[in-house]
Amino acid sequence: MPHIPEVLPKSIPIPGFIVTTFSYIWYYLNLVLLQIPGGDFLIHYVRKSHQDDPYRTFVEIVLILYGIYYYLSKPQQKKGLQSNRPNLSSQEVDDLIEDWQPEPIVDPSVMELQRWRLDSIPVIDGTGVNKRVTIFQNGRRHENVLNLSSNNFLHLSQTPRVLNVAKSVIQNYGVGACGPAGFYGNQDVHYNLEYRLADFFGTESAVLYGQDFCTSASVIPAFTKRGDLLVADEKVSLGVQNALQLSRSTVYYYEHNNMESLEAILSELVESEKKENLPAISRKFIVTEGIFQNTGDIPPLPQLVELKNRYKFRLFVDETLSLGVLGKTGRGLTEYYGLAREDSIDITVGSMAHAFGSSGAFVLGDAVMSHHQRIGSYAYCFSASLPPYTARCVDEVLRILGEDHSSVNQLQKFSKLLYNEFSGDSTLSKYVEITSCPFSPILHLRLTPELRYRKFGYSAEDLFCEMMHQQKRVTTTRYIEPYEQEERFLQEIVNRLLLESGILITRNTIVIRQESLPFLPSLKICVNSGLQENEILESCRSIKKVLIKSCSE
Amino acid sequence: MGDAEVKDSTGSIRVPLFVPENLPADVKKENEYGTLTSKEHLHQTKSLNGKPMEPPIMDTPPYYISLITYLNYLIVIIFGHLHDFLGMTFQKDSHQDVMERDGWAPWYSKFESFFSRRMKKKIDDCFSRPTTGVPGRFIRCIDRISHEENGYFTYPGTTSMCLNLSSYNYLGFAQSEGQCTASALQSVDKYGIHSGGPRTQIGTTDLHLEAEKLIASFLGKEDAVIFSMGYGTNANFFNSFLDSKCLVISDELNHASIRTGVRLSGAAVRTFAHNDMVGLEKLIREQIVLGQPKTNRPWKKILICVEGLYSMEGTLCSLPEVVELKKKYKCYLFVDEAHSVGAMGPTGRGVCDLFGVDPKDVDFLMGTLTKSFGAAGGYIASNKWVIDRLRLDLTTSNYAEPTPAPVLAQIIASLRIIKGDLVPGEGKERLQRIAFNSRYLRLGLQRLGFIVYGAPDSPVIPLLLYCPTKMPAFSRMMLQRKIAVVVVAYPATPLIESRVRFCVSSSLTKDDLDYLLRHVSEIGDMLFLKASSGAASVPQDGRPPRWDVEDVIARTAKDCKDDDFFLT
Repeated sequence: MPHIPEVLPKSIPIPGFIVTTFSYIWYYLNLVLLQIPGGDFLIHYVRKSHQDDPYRTFVEIVLILYGIYYYLSKPQQKKGLQSNRPNLSSQEVDDLIEDWQPEPIVDPSVMELQRWRLDSIPVIDGTGVNKRVTIFQNGRRHENVLNLSSNNFLHLSQTPRVLNVAKSVIQNYGVGACGPAGFYGNQDVHYNLEYRLADFFGTESAVLYGQDFCTSASVIPAFTKRGDLLVADEKVSLGVQNALQLSRSTVYYYEHNNMESLEAILSELVESEKKENLPAISRKFIVTEGIFQNTGDIPPLPQLVELKNRYKFRLFVDETLSLGVLGKTGRGLTEYYGLAREDSIDITVGSMAHAFGSSGAFVLGDAVMSHHQRIGSYAYCFSASLPPYTARCVDEVLRILGEDHSSVNQLQKFSKLLYNEFSGDSTLSKYVEITSCPFSPILHLRLTPELRYRKFGYSAEDLFCEMMHQQKRVTTTRYIEPYEQEERFLQEIVNRLLLESGILITRNTIVIRQESLPFLPSLKICVNSGLQENEILESCRSIKKVLIKSCSE
Repeated sequence: MGDAEVKDSTGSIRVPLFVPENLPADVKKENEYGTLTSKEHLHQTKSLNGKPMEPPIMDTPPYYISLITYLNYLIVIIFGHLHDFLGMTFQKDSHQDVMERDGWAPWYSKFESFFSRRMKKKIDDCFSRPTTGVPGRFIRCIDRISHEENGYFTYPGTTSMCLNLSSYNYLGFAQSEGQCTASALQSVDKYGIHSGGPRTQIGTTDLHLEAEKLIASFLGKEDAVIFSMGYGTNANFFNSFLDSKCLVISDELNHASIRTGVRLSGAAVRTFAHNDMVGLEKLIREQIVLGQPKTNRPWKKILICVEGLYSMEGTLCSLPEVVELKKKYKCYLFVDEAHSVGAMGPTGRGVCDLFGVDPKDVDFLMGTLTKSFGAAGGYIASNKWVIDRLRLDLTTSNYAEPTPAPVLAQIIASLRIIKGDLVPGEGKERLQRIAFNSRYLRLGLQRLGFIVYGAPDSPVIPLLLYCPTKMPAFSRMMLQRKIAVVVVAYPATPLIESRVRFCVSSSLTKDDLDYLLRHVSEIGDMLFLKASSGAASVPQDGRPPRWDVEDVIARTAKDCKDDDFFLT
């Protein structure tokens, strides 16, 4: 080894192999450094410092190694996430525990200011589905009120045919199913409803759930994990917002029904994914609604389908309001746009508690997706099956719809009538704007921005900013004065209508502390197939009169 | 799934819709709710008057059983991976569901679904057995034939009446006649089957208010609110009053719905070992001192979440001790009585009743109406000012469907029967029958030599099987003997503690339980399940109990009423 220089002085007793190893390393490092411009300066520096103090080299090597180790090791999760444990004596601990004062279990501070909300909930004597109802509200009894609040759009589940089915099933199956689907809870009636739903809507399978609101929030998390991508419309309802929150995935929002905005996000995401070069493709979903629950409009499905196929996203549509409502025969958004459900929407969530007038919900899709829900979807696995009579009643409603879809046509005629009555009025448009589409059986009326500003001195942006501000600071009290006033104003319109004209419409009840997306207060007018044309026209006149009177005051 | 017409030589591939059996009324009634055979077969539970209950002793199996169980899993896992490897190399067509295809990710990954594809699927015939009719004393299971290792089933169109130890029908209210059914039918006439929309908009009827008032007074609380789905009750409850500056202290065995609900609320969660009161106190003290992570500000509120009766273990929460801790440290308490309300306590009012704890000391009493009451949905009971606030802040009452009228009618009628307002005496008999049945079956199984978990009065009786391969064997052999049981394994239980869970009901008679004991004893011998060491039962000349089944049947009915025969 003639060329290998000696690194360590011989006088220090160091095992020979260490000396040789370091000598070799230094020799080859030398060769490498000489290739790099400026390398010889470095060699010179190391040589000099080593000559001055050989131990310094040792310390520096250890430091470098520790630096590398520190850089590579993950930051240690300290136990309980609370790393800065104070060192307290037991007396101090007892004092701290003694001093701790929790907040009240729920926030009582604004209850009195919001009691009007509780008082204005109507209590129906009988069922809220009937055309004429008797209600108690604000301590008053109102008889023979025309009901324009019912979500039983097709009005088929109140027919004797369906009610008789309900009774005969209760006589043969009892009321409850007494078990979850995995353990003897799914009965022949449940399976047969799943078959009928799948056949009716043209998908491979359907899966039943116990309640409409928690279905989306259970289905999406069953298929997503950390690192998956969700691109959602910015106006989705709370049920879907919960799903996005529980999904563990990265969520992006596109502008409401704006396909350019969606495409921009999709292409960017796909580009960045290509760059990342992941070991496996992540699951990607576009999330939207059929008829938006907070605005009443519908998404442009053909463009959505085109985009999702181009960028290889899956499409999730919450059709809680639109199944049984849209399309010539009530088969929903896909039929409205003339598409086949199987080729366009990957996961459809539908409700049996709206147009079909029973209870529960269902998810439509292909067989593989449906099967996985039966293993991985919490609301399916951990909840008892629906009462058998509700399943058979939906089955019967679908059978009626299959034979004769006149109720769907009737509903669409009424929806359009309602829409035209309100959208064509020029006096009214000064005060309220309509966000619904003509086919939505729920007409959303909200104040125009000018009126809102004049009456309550705030705008939609102000509301959202304040909401976000409170959410960020995690305040216990979620109360926004002008918003509360607007809600109260809308409720007064509802009350006035009830008193003066005997018509029941409703405020869109929204829980502000739960919402995470921009929204605005609105009034809802619902029509159903059980009404008469002249009743709708007459009540439209009364509603407009009261609206104009209230808004111009 | 193909067309409805598609048929195999062994039957249709879709579950057929069955017409109800045409049985004489008395036979039908007897099938749903067996008549009491002797006054001896009743037991009145006594309140513990605030005394805490000793934690039940969990027997452990001999070492060789644990070893065999692990080996069992190892073999299944090795073969599963081998199967996966070969399948994905040579049989790409049948493994499309876990493979990337043309730029699309699969619905679920190979790794995530390994357990369900390679292990659960092999015993899929033991789960989701379709049934028809009333899930009462007997349950009518629809026969099915498995094909391609449970790839699909065919249905020849026949049914078998099985003794029902699977349904959550604790008080036997799953009936197609009687007072409950009559009022459900009446409500269809007056109210129909749909409420029109969310509770705050149009869905509140006089029937809802009546049911809520009744539940509140039954539980000894000021007010209650009811929901249409039990899972949804918890899943959308915690976000109405908790936020990320609040802390939830949760028992490690709490139900998935509680965990989902808490996650949705954003609150921080700390868990304590199942029923470990010392650990709980230590955790509370530590958390009050440390406060929130990073900022170290004190928590806004601390909520302790426990269940009354744990559905997989059959154990009870130590309520008196939890209440004491809760009071001492100013925490709030949430008790999920999904399984215990109706089924437990001297008057069926759940764990508070059993332990003699004042319900006012529990801030939130939650429960389901699906189980003991034979209806559907859940409730939350609390003080009036709290419920008033919750009605405005709960998402379920503002956005979701309300409970339909026939279900409400069933709830009201069954509650009034339990309280004794309706058909006096019937409610009491139901409560005494479930208490007797639970104790009889539990002591019987213990004497036969099985390892059984849980509290003496618990109507949930888990019998430990350990080896996962014994689950399908047990379940299939029971089905051959016309007994419907539920087998559960990982992830619902710890890995090696696969078990069969008997859910006892008031509708069963002693003869039914004797029939069950004889068959379980026989199967237990065949599958080597009698493995108890005697640690969890009253000692008898130092040997583990291995009674003869006829002795058990002859002597247990009297003994089971005596607390001395249960080690707690």
